[in-house]
Amino acid sequence: MNDKIRSDFPLLDERRQDQRRRGPLVYFDNACMALKPRQVIEAMQSYYQEFPACGGRSGHRLSRQVDDEVDAARRQVAKFISARRQEECVFTRNTTEGINMVAHGIGLKQGDEVIISGKEHNSNLIPWLRLRQEQGICVKVLPVDSIGTLDMAALESAITKKTRLVSMVHTSNLDGVTNPLRDIAKIAHDHGAKVLADGAQSVPSHPVDVRHLGVDFLSCSGHKLCGPTGTGILYGSMEALEQLRQYNVGGETVIDSTYDTFTPEELPMRLEAGLQDYAGIIGLGAAVKYLSRIGMQRIERQELALNKVMTEGLRDLQIQAGRDRQEEGSLEKEEGSPKRMKKIRLIGPQDPALRSGIYNFTVDTMDAHHVAKMLDVSDSIMVRSGAHCVHSWFNANSIKGSVRASMYFYNTLAEAEHFVDAMGRILTL
Amino acid sequence: MVLCLVALPIFALLSIFSVRYRRLTLEAVDCLLRTVTLRKCRSGLDERIRASISGKLLKIWPGAARFTYRYYKALSWIIFILFTWSLVVSAAGIVNYVKYGNCNGPASTGFCLFDPTGSQSAICEADIDIPQQTVTPAPGEGGLLIGAPDAQLTIIEFGCYTCPHTRQAQSTIEQVLEQYRGKVNLEFHPFVLSRHDFSGPAAHAAYCADEQDKKETFHELMLNNPEVISQDNIDALAAKAGLDTARFDECMVSGRYDAEVDADALLGVRAGVQGTPTFFIGDQRIVGPKPLKTFEVIIDPLLR
Repeated sequence: MNDKIRSDFPLLDERRQDQRRRGPLVYFDNACMALKPRQVIEAMQSYYQEFPACGGRSGHRLSRQVDDEVDAARRQVAKFISARRQEECVFTRNTTEGINMVAHGIGLKQGDEVIISGKEHNSNLIPWLRLRQEQGICVKVLPVDSIGTLDMAALESAITKKTRLVSMVHTSNLDGVTNPLRDIAKIAHDHGAKVLADGAQSVPSHPVDVRHLGVDFLSCSGHKLCGPTGTGILYGSMEALEQLRQYNVGGETVIDSTYDTFTPEELPMRLEAGLQDYAGIIGLGAAVKYLSRIGMQRIERQELALNKVMTEGLRDLQIQAGRDRQEEGSLEKEEGSPKRMKKIRLIGPQDPALRSGIYNFTVDTMDAHHVAKMLDVSDSIMVRSGAHCVHSWFNANSIKGSVRASMYFYNTLAEAEHFVDAMGRILTL
Repeated sequence: MVLCLVALPIFALLSIFSVRYRRLTLEAVDCLLRTVTLRKCRSGLDERIRASISGKLLKIWPGAARFTYRYYKALSWIIFILFTWSLVVSAAGIVNYVKYGNCNGPASTGFCLFDPTGSQSAICEADIDIPQQTVTPAPGEGGLLIGAPDAQLTIIEFGCYTCPHTRQAQSTIEQVLEQYRGKVNLEFHPFVLSRHDFSGPAAHAAYCADEQDKKETFHELMLNNPEVISQDNIDALAAKAGLDTARFDECMVSGRYDAEVDADALLGVRAGVQGTPTFFIGDQRIVGPKPLKTFEVIIDPLLR
């Protein structure tokens, strides 16, 4: 079955010339960008080839087809995250834009509090820091423990009547840990605060039901959902969206205007300013339809299985290296012996079941970028290195950067084993 | 930082053809500027090269990958020193080329990129041992004088009539004598090469032609003759030069110029001649059929 899925992804075709030359490509940078299946590429292509017209403006048949396709995409997306109505789904450029729309739209003023966690992506940190600078809001950062678990007691004590919003990552791109969003939402709502979830990693990784979670907003990106780049979704309950001030205004955001006034458009169009990326939206619709067909539970299971292979494989390597070190000690072998293997330090919990598709680690005495480059050059394994846009956490923990392997459903167990083998070689350098 | 400096000219060259290298060139330039202003290089290019090389070696030769990764800095410095040395040598080569028309200067027979076939440095090698101390020959020590006898400057040539490279140089020598008519003459010392069958007889023939005051005509005919030199060929060229063939034959048989030919050889050996053609102008030596420019660069200052 995995072969059938893989055949949908042109990049994974081993007959490609570059793969024949360099060996099969192993793509483990899915937390940054997921690969695109043929179905998505063809859906986008169909827009440009068959009905490349304006949506929501003209009345001719090409324009109507655009409207139909965009509506279909919105329905797919709403169904995918279990929104009550498709109008609750606003198309954006990415997660960052969705968060900014909320940050600038909920009318925060001096003294209002926003609570975030200590391992937020810059997308869910910088907008609040800027509002603190410019409008004097108060940003509270909740601590996370050494294995990435959010301190819920800290949330209980941090939240006050002044708290307007709890903006929290759902599944962390740093360690793969999923926050108990339903519990967080309950606490927030009990104190009259709204909840914004950064769903950039959670929506692609496991089933997300916004109604069950009880969040007011959820923002996610299309490019991590096997969809096109430059696409995203901002979910908001109708009540929350109705209260949201328009972040961008202009074309298609109004029903009517005079030289002095304007009448905003209905939801969600009033929040989608200007001509939209129709090809992208249609591609995003095709992507969530594709993921739905595969099944999010199945995707989650595959990610966990892959993570288990990586975690256990590298753990075994380290245990073996530890034994070798002990033997080396007794035999007084020289320091630079090839058997001496560098240590891996995992970011987040040891249990792979708690880390979804993320295996993020540092290697003692090795630069993370070196490791990533070597995996690419030696074994055609693509991973990400650096601070993964969570600089604040890295700075707070005095870590320069890490290597992150992130898996997705089209990855195979053999690829995970290959990663372990490649790392085994690198660790002996 | 070290490899950034090495990479800069390489990337700069490649960036003419590819945008990808333009970015890397800018990184290398930034690194260079920061280094010059005593700041830390921030490009990380060095480290990327380190990881890239180690990664490439990792699968095919893990030991080499480990060595490269661990001793990268030392290796970088070695490469940097080699690169700098090569840069200096290349610069010297370019200067020599601009000055003499040959990368290695007038006296070298080494490889020159601008003369890949080596045609300007080729010589017919002589099977002789070079003395430890050599003496630069002075004009008037025998040989055959070609051109104005009272010229200001004399080019001394050790050549062999049977050597293709001596023949190759002839057209340049003729140009030199024409260009500096009356100011420069040539003292040709036939230098016998033991490997060439008719090298000795040809040398004798030149002196025999001198005996009949036809040395210049015969000399030019011999060196401009496209055919391989043989006894018949020598006789034919003597006749063509207008020599009295009976007197010429008698001279060739007599061996009366053996002493001159031997003296020419001895003079060449003492001068450290390793093959033909070798020229001496003043105390400067030119080896091989170098272009006209080489001669001009040496002659012009001596005539001033």
